[in-house]
Amino acid sequence: MRVTRLRWLVLAVCFVLLTFGGRMGVHLGAYLPTFACYFTGFDSYGGACFLAPLQFALAAGSVDGLLKALLYVVIAILLIIPLGSAWCGWVCPFAFVQDVLDLIRRKLGLGYLRFPEGLREGLRPAKWVFLFIMLLLPLWAAFPILVPSVARHLNIPFCELCPVRYIMPMLTGRASYMGVDLENATTIILSGLGVFFAILTLVLSLFKRRFWCAYCPMVLVLSFFRRISLPKLKKDVQKCTRCEICYNVCPMDVEQVFKEREKENVTFPDCVLCLACIEHCPEDDALRATWAGKTFFRSTRKGFSRRRKIGVDRHKNKDN
Amino acid sequence: MGKRKQRLLRALGRSAEGVLRGLEEAADRPKQLDYFIEVMRAAYVDDCLAERLELSEPRPKVVGIYCVMAPEELVYAAGAIPLRLCGGSHEASCAGDELAPRDACPVVKSALGSTALGAPSLYELCDVVVVPTTCDAKRKMGEELAQHTEVWVLDVPHVKESEGARRQWLEELHGFKRDLERLTGNRIKRRALKEAIAMLGRAQHQARRLYQLRQAPVPVVRGSEAALALHAFAFDRADSWTEAMTRLNDELEERTRHQQPSQGAQRPRLMLAGAPSIFPNWKLPNLIEEMGGALVTDESCVGDRYLYDPVGAVENTMEDMMVALGSRYLMPCTCPSFAPNDDRLFRLRQAVEDFQLDGVLYLVLKGCVIYDFELQRVEKLMRELGLPVLRIETDYNPEDVEQLRTRVEAFIEMIQENTQLEVGA
Ligand code: SF4
Ligand code: SF4
Ligand code: SF4
Ligand code: SF4
Ligand code: SF4
Repeated sequence: MRVTRLRWLVLAVCFVLLTFGGRMGVHLGAYLPTFACYFTGFDSYGGACFLAPLQFALAAGSVDGLLKALLYVVIAILLIIPLGSAWCGWVCPFAFVQDVLDLIRRKLGLGYLRFPEGLREGLRPAKWVFLFIMLLLPLWAAFPILVPSVARHLNIPFCELCPVRYIMPMLTGRASYMGVDLENATTIILSGLGVFFAILTLVLSLFKRRFWCAYCPMVLVLSFFRRISLPKLKKDVQKCTRCEICYNVCPMDVEQVFKEREKENVTFPDCVLCLACIEHCPEDDALRATWAGKTFFRSTRKGFSRRRKIGVDRHKNKDN
Repeated sequence: MGKRKQRLLRALGRSAEGVLRGLEEAADRPKQLDYFIEVMRAAYVDDCLAERLELSEPRPKVVGIYCVMAPEELVYAAGAIPLRLCGGSHEASCAGDELAPRDACPVVKSALGSTALGAPSLYELCDVVVVPTTCDAKRKMGEELAQHTEVWVLDVPHVKESEGARRQWLEELHGFKRDLERLTGNRIKRRALKEAIAMLGRAQHQARRLYQLRQAPVPVVRGSEAALALHAFAFDRADSWTEAMTRLNDELEERTRHQQPSQGAQRPRLMLAGAPSIFPNWKLPNLIEEMGGALVTDESCVGDRYLYDPVGAVENTMEDMMVALGSRYLMPCTCPSFAPNDDRLFRLRQAVEDFQLDGVLYLVLKGCVIYDFELQRVEKLMRELGLPVLRIETDYNPEDVEQLRTRVEAFIEMIQENTQLEVGA
């Protein structure tokens, strides 16, 4: 359980630092490519999601705003390159919330839900829809050529929809963001949907591992850089027995890792680099994680057994 | 007891004893091998497996299993004892001749013969037998067995890839679980299944240790010995077997440290591929070793493949454990009853590397179509890797041993000459 433990530790620390760090003097700004929600409040967050300021900047509609948006994107890219999707596996405070819900499920002895492939395929575009909403609607708000009465209220359309906005501020005592925004029809619809997503997410995260992450536009953004970002998941296709364990332990239901029979690089778009698959792969060197080409973690049968407390006490000082 | 049964028992005992004696004659055999020899002797020669297993009163249910797709974890978790029944006896296959078409393979004939006559009596010990739908012969065998005993057919999908097949397989295992609960009257609880998975996990761990020890450049155990030890799992309780296997591995590890070869170090390293050599059909393992080869691995479902894969449950929720069992008993299995079965070629390629093989003997049991079908692909792969392949078609009849001996000898000599040429060049 070593990696799993370490990951829990890192996730928990990041959760505390990013959500409450502001109160302890941590101020990393709102530049992070991860769902540390901006709406937990300036006074509370230690570092926040760059999507809110990005949408504000786009919605400003000025050259200045666009330059600012560009700056946010550039900073985000610089932050994405060294960590890649590990932002999602190891840093995101909302991942921590989902993982805690998942832990509760396990402790209750409930099994997890796995959506059938068809449904997963069907829901795949959701991320893209969120991304377009995030990038295009603020521009419409900035230049309301059509239906200005609606456009005016679309400054931060994705944040209005984002379930995180209704959940995380709860934890920092900013309950004012929680309900449906009754200001006008547009906000009612957007925030109504947002509240609905939030409730859906909280409930379904108890049954499906990382329920929200499958639709989160951030993991999509991170996946755009998976070729140039430094951490990668690699597979030796000859050593793999296709035992399917890596698929079963994957919180993101990434199936391609076990199916792959040709490519070495198996950092697929939905992968959050949690490394659970490497931890539980029973074949020596079938899976490994590299950073800038250097292997820092590899699968071993020994490790597989050790994690299950098999062959440890009897042969403490022997190499087997 | 019927006359025929007695005759079969005697004949079976004789040939099984012959194989076991052969193993015992090797003075340099690992000491810890004797345990496994005794297991086999109890099953086939002394015909006293029931006593050996110490089935306490009330006697636990015994579940006979064919092939390698029925999760023994579930059987143990239900408080029953699994026995593996695939047959390897020439005498039993003769008895089964009249029960199966002439062209059926000897595995199936032998199982039918043993079941019909109840010899060895471990076949009678089983309250129920589980027959996975692997090859056609096994499937039809299941139907015939039903005349003699209760049969549960386990519907194994033949295309592993598809999500639907995997889902159906999981359903099938849930059905298997319910059947076991009905048979034993015990509900399979989470904790019991977790413990069964851990218990077999320890067995699989030791099997893998043996697998790795056999990769050493100097073989420390004969292939015929290792195969027997693995095979004994079929007739033993998992925990006792694991203890014995741990001791054997410890001894072999010691040998590795002191570089004590079990036979000459220079022998060509061979794999016995294709259909399984099931005890007491020890024809090929013996021939290979008598003719100067080192049998370092096989891909048999009673041998190296039997306990190779572990169960990867992490959550210990019922659902997760069932999913993990479903994966374990379907996905990594390279039985040629699956199509497509490219997975097998990947495994073979890796074995060539791991075991530093010099050649492959490919057993085709008469009447077995699926292993023969895949021979072409295996030959193509081995050509690519520069390894010679010898196809041997035979059944359990000992009559052709001398003729096979000549062919195996020639094959091994050819490999030796080639390696000498290479060394010389
Ligand atoms: S509402 Fe969602 S997208 Fe907006 S800042 Fe919060 S986490 Fe980021
Ligand atoms: S995909 Fe999940 S882990 Fe990644 S940013 Fe979104 S909520 Fe966080
Ligand atoms: S866990 Fe390892 S061996 Fe099993 S399918 Fe995944 S990569 Fe292959
Ligand atoms: S593929 Fe592996 S590293 Fe990626 S999310 Fe799944 S388990 Fe984690
Ligand atoms: S796979 Fe071949 S040898 Fe095995 S039972 Fe089927 S036909 Fe017989």
